[in-house]
Amino acid sequence: MKSNIKSRLFTFTGTTVAIVSFAFLAIEPAQARKPFTQDELAAQYKDLMATVKEGDDLWHSAKLGKNGLACANCHPDAAASNPHTFPKWQANLGQVIPLRDMINWCIQVPLEGQALDANSKEMKALEAYSFYMHRGFKLKPGENTRQHPPVEVRSGAGYP
Amino acid sequence: MTDFSKMNRREFLGITGKAGLATLVASAAGVSFGMVQVAEAAGNSRLTPFRFAILTDAHLYDIPDHKFDGILKKAVDDVNNMNPLPDFVVYLGDIGQSGKRAELEKGKRILSKLKVPLKVIPGEHDWYLDMGQAWRDMFGSPTWSFDHKGVHFIGMNSILVRDFWTMKGLTPDERMGFMEELECHHCGLWGVREEQLEWLKKDVKKLKPDTPVVVFTHSPLWDYYPRWNFQTEDAPQIREILSGFERVMAFHGHVHQVVYNRIGNLSSIGTLSTSWPWPYPGIELPFPDIKMNRVDPGDILDGLGTQYIDLEKEFSGALHYDAWADLLPEGVKKGVKL
Repeated sequence: MKSNIKSRLFTFTGTTVAIVSFAFLAIEPAQARKPFTQDELAAQYKDLMATVKEGDDLWHSAKLGKNGLACANCHPDAAASNPHTFPKWQANLGQVIPLRDMINWCIQVPLEGQALDANSKEMKALEAYSFYMHRGFKLKPGENTRQHPPVEVRSGAGYP
Repeated sequence: MTDFSKMNRREFLGITGKAGLATLVASAAGVSFGMVQVAEAAGNSRLTPFRFAILTDAHLYDIPDHKFDGILKKAVDDVNNMNPLPDFVVYLGDIGQSGKRAELEKGKRILSKLKVPLKVIPGEHDWYLDMGQAWRDMFGSPTWSFDHKGVHFIGMNSILVRDFWTMKGLTPDERMGFMEELECHHCGLWGVREEQLEWLKKDVKKLKPDTPVVVFTHSPLWDYYPRWNFQTEDAPQIREILSGFERVMAFHGHVHQVVYNRIGNLSSIGTLSTSWPWPYPGIELPFPDIKMNRVDPGDILDGLGTQYIDLEKEFSGALHYDAWADLLPEGVKKGVKL
């Protein structure tokens, strides 16, 4: 983050500000905060996994829709949800959309339910599950010519 | 074992009779099992060419006027309008979604509009609410065989898992809920198990090696993708029991997609559902050209359809997918040689 800000200052604000900023950096160490401790990292990971689990449960739940269907009917293990290919032009919506818009389309059309608030806890959880099942994949924004299987899952939920 | 051979002419006409005109068509075409045997005895070839059709995986919900009801009705209409009509239809499992009697009854009601006889095997969605009680009440034994025009047809229940619910203290609803998930985290691998393997051994014992044999199971008889139970755990034993035959054709439901494989004397092919299509798992297909195109999620019928098989006299033939959208690559459109 810090280096991004620094380069933006360089590019857009000009030399004077850059010099001031360097002076500022000379006084305050470049480190914004201390590295996370192992305990902090473990707690963050636990929170992430709880969100993924919440997403998994919703993904497999009929309560998002009104006709008994769940996301998992068509997308077992989040297969073919292709999170790493968003944003992209989506044919059925005729525009460039992020993953959450596609999730809402699926909730409204195949599941015949009500769209979620894009910033809701539920939407964040669904996104977290879809992305986590594609961890390690290369980003391919815009790719809309193929579908992808998720990470290889041999048993269990597919995440710790 | 065969319901067809036990079915007398009046019962047979009872089924077709519901469709009125269909009775006349069926009778005129000589589609009666009695007449067929005469034809068979007269010829020297291994079988009298004929067509049969496959419907599968309707996943009906106990919700009035659910969209999948209409799709299954469309499939039934399509089969009824085939020319020539198939001699019979085999349904490869998952009539219902949650194993409810009402779902199975709805499916049976819709399927009763078929102009031709119907044989059914179960899928896991039909079974794990009451361990197949309602299914058996409605469709009889899930294990059967019959002979038709020189071909020996076999149906088996391939969705039997080891008990995962007693130790966990699950209710029937909870057990069904687990089994409803393709990627069930607790359910384990499916198979036909010992009793059906023994039955199969006896069933084929007296058949000559050149008998055309066709096998139906809900899941594939090869190790395709165990994570989604795209497999049958005791498929190797089944293939071993059938290894003495010159050729065996195996048809399965469950995968909701075009997929093909050949192992030894057995060719295995997957079928299109009437509910939703499934994406391909992350493995290389054994026959990568035999697949379906990516599905348009905006088209409710894309990825779905029916299929029919035309068998020729030397026990060759092809499966023709009748897809309802632009789903098939050119090579597959012509039919998949079995």
